[in-house]
Amino acid sequence: MTRRVLSLVLAQLNMNFAISHSRYYYLKKRQRLWEPVLIVLGIGGAAAMLAIGIYTAASYYYSAAAAVGQGAVTLTLGILLSQVLVLILGFVLVIAVFYFSNDLGILIPFPLRPAEVLVSKFAVILANEYVGLAVFIVPVLVAYGVRAGVSAVPYVVSSVLVFLALPVVPLVLAAIPAILLMRVVGLSRRKDTLAMIGGFLFIAVVVVFQFLVQTKAPGVGEEAEFLAKMLATADSLVDIVGARFPPSIWATKALALSGTWQGLLNLGIFLAVGALGFVALLAIGDRVFYQGVLSGFEAGATRGARRVGKVRAATYVSRSPVVSLAVAEMKLFTRTPVFVLNGFTGFVIFPVMLVAMFFVRSTPEMARLWDALFAIPGLAAIGTLVIAGYFFILTAMSSIPFTAFSREGRRNIWIPRSFPATGKTVALGKAVGAEIMIALGAIPGVAVLEYLVRLPVLSVVAGIILGIMSSFVLCVCGVLFDMWRPMLNWTDQQKAVKSNLNVVAGMLVGVGVVGLLGVAVSFFIKLGFPAWGIVAGVAGVLAILLAALMKLLGTIADKLWSALEI
Amino acid sequence: MSEVALLRLEGVSKTYRGGTRPAVDNLSLEVRAGEIFGFLGPNGAGKTTTIKMVVGLLKADRGTILVNGHDVARDSVAAKADIGYVPDNPDLYDRLTGIEYLNLVADIFGVPRDERRRRVAELLEMFELESAARDIIQSYSHGMKQKLALTGALLHEPRVFILDEPMVGLDPRASRLFKDMMRSHCDKGHTVFFSTHILEVAERLCDRVGIINRGRLVACGTVEELRNRRKQADETLEDIFLELTEAGEAS
Repeated sequence: MTRRVLSLVLAQLNMNFAISHSRYYYLKKRQRLWEPVLIVLGIGGAAAMLAIGIYTAASYYYSAAAAVGQGAVTLTLGILLSQVLVLILGFVLVIAVFYFSNDLGILIPFPLRPAEVLVSKFAVILANEYVGLAVFIVPVLVAYGVRAGVSAVPYVVSSVLVFLALPVVPLVLAAIPAILLMRVVGLSRRKDTLAMIGGFLFIAVVVVFQFLVQTKAPGVGEEAEFLAKMLATADSLVDIVGARFPPSIWATKALALSGTWQGLLNLGIFLAVGALGFVALLAIGDRVFYQGVLSGFEAGATRGARRVGKVRAATYVSRSPVVSLAVAEMKLFTRTPVFVLNGFTGFVIFPVMLVAMFFVRSTPEMARLWDALFAIPGLAAIGTLVIAGYFFILTAMSSIPFTAFSREGRRNIWIPRSFPATGKTVALGKAVGAEIMIALGAIPGVAVLEYLVRLPVLSVVAGIILGIMSSFVLCVCGVLFDMWRPMLNWTDQQKAVKSNLNVVAGMLVGVGVVGLLGVAVSFFIKLGFPAWGIVAGVAGVLAILLAALMKLLGTIADKLWSALEI
Repeated sequence: MSEVALLRLEGVSKTYRGGTRPAVDNLSLEVRAGEIFGFLGPNGAGKTTTIKMVVGLLKADRGTILVNGHDVARDSVAAKADIGYVPDNPDLYDRLTGIEYLNLVADIFGVPRDERRRRVAELLEMFELESAARDIIQSYSHGMKQKLALTGALLHEPRVFILDEPMVGLDPRASRLFKDMMRSHCDKGHTVFFSTHILEVAERLCDRVGIINRGRLVACGTVEELRNRRKQADETLEDIFLELTEAGEAS
């Protein structure tokens, strides 16, 4: 069993990191050598910069916390944040990798227990989490080790073990509800919809939980009591902050007290809880994993139940190619759970965060803050810009326009490519489809904002119009970029939207546009524009940008489209 | 059969990036209106590459491809508007229903509403897909997907109907239906160009065949003409095919 699981895990990791694929193209055929160079320079450079930033922040934080004898809380916060991130993103990853991988049709007929397949899939997720976590938590571990002057060998050993076990508990906590959810929704005909709703509910619960953890900090009037409690013993803040999620306390103590029996004990508890969680996952998975997967293979057909005559009455709507492509884009996206759980997460997180911020932390101080906010001169115009910015951020963060062609994959790209439609028509259809989804997804956030801040209707309407303009700028850029370099070779849908460098490119384009708008706004302020004048100025800049982009679309889309070989 | 060429390839070549030899090498042929043309060849001979170049999925390195007089390289939209294409493995949009997929195709090919209603009803009935049309494509069997792809490709009555290995996955009944449909499509003055490994089908159905080996067209004409050229009146198409392609391998 061990041998075949190991073989399976190695094969899965090979596919996940495209090891043989890279060896074949880069080493044997010596083709596309610019790709590894770009990955090392681009992603490696960005990761290094991020790691340096986190190291610096953690060092500062340690200095401040150590002054009151609470240095170890640096580790607690780093570990807690890492684990919450793994928990939120892990749920989507688990659903994508466990239930929507292309290779499930190959693996299930193999003489393997469900738990064995589960182990291989879990290993893939874990490996991906390690890559992300390395950038996030290693600088915190190094910063603490350097600043706290710990003894090197036990600390490094403990750090390695804690790092390896760090994502296990949150992933198990994400995976167990995910496989139970997929088992339950698998019984329904609307399993995809239910999986998406369940996924978003889980994410919302985790976000609210995160706010509850934060409310462990003192409220107004509680400072004296809090300080007394905190100063009573060294590192008591660790217990206070980590109280809602004990593994972060065990990990902190395992590191901060490394080389002592207490440290070893906490390390043992941390590793044991991870191992127990994993065993529990396997035990549950062995019973229900395949049931969920197999129900996914049974797409809901109702052929027997429907009368033939009804099909003849089906609506034959005649639409322009752009509209038809936009409608198809929306249907294909919203009916694919993995795409929705990735692309729409921002649509859910932001409104939930706003609500949580307002209600969970509702204190008299908060109320005073809101009052002060309402007194800001030109609030209506600022609100318009905030709404527009919200649309823009959602677009930059969602992968929708930047994976428009990648999502088609090698399997389906032949369909639009064989249509008698120009590149411009296809690109526009996809950009419009993406824009409609983003605009609709932004509405709940705008509604919550409006409920909390009570902006004038004109301000909200202007914000939405400006938001659509700013978002469409990114949509057109994204679609063109993805048309130029689509990532068509993927093994599961998650890869098409998450491991796609075009999404990173989209964020960079977003930063560029924000920079341009920032320069424009500061210029308008310098010229003494009133608040609404600045809004009009921003609208003007966006209109010019859009006009330029539409011109560009007409010029290059056809060339990019015809250059796309399959 | 008319003398008007609806599909013409002139000196078409294609070498894949990093490839050591051309996948298609200086290929010239023409397919006339009203003709069913069978494109035969062993695995890796260049059939799919040729078809992909005709439908615009690949760009030819050299040569010209004309579809109903439209140059695929220069006027791809007009050329594609005259093509109905079904690939060897018709992966369709799994998350759309059959009718949604057909509506999308009809919109893009500009099939007017009334005509699409008539054509969709006619084709769905012919392929016995009526009761499945409103189910998502994911629920279809391979054969049903194949039939839906054929329905989509035929919706706009293409002048040039191009199919890559169309018989794979079809049951005998659907296969017969499909062959009849190919014939009637050509009888309307259109043309059918298809690749196949099933030589009996090609022999019985095709007005002319072309045999491609290692990217080169090694024979082209009616089966009768090929027999006469080889002066072996009792040879089957299979015999001719094997001799021509083995000769290519040996050289």
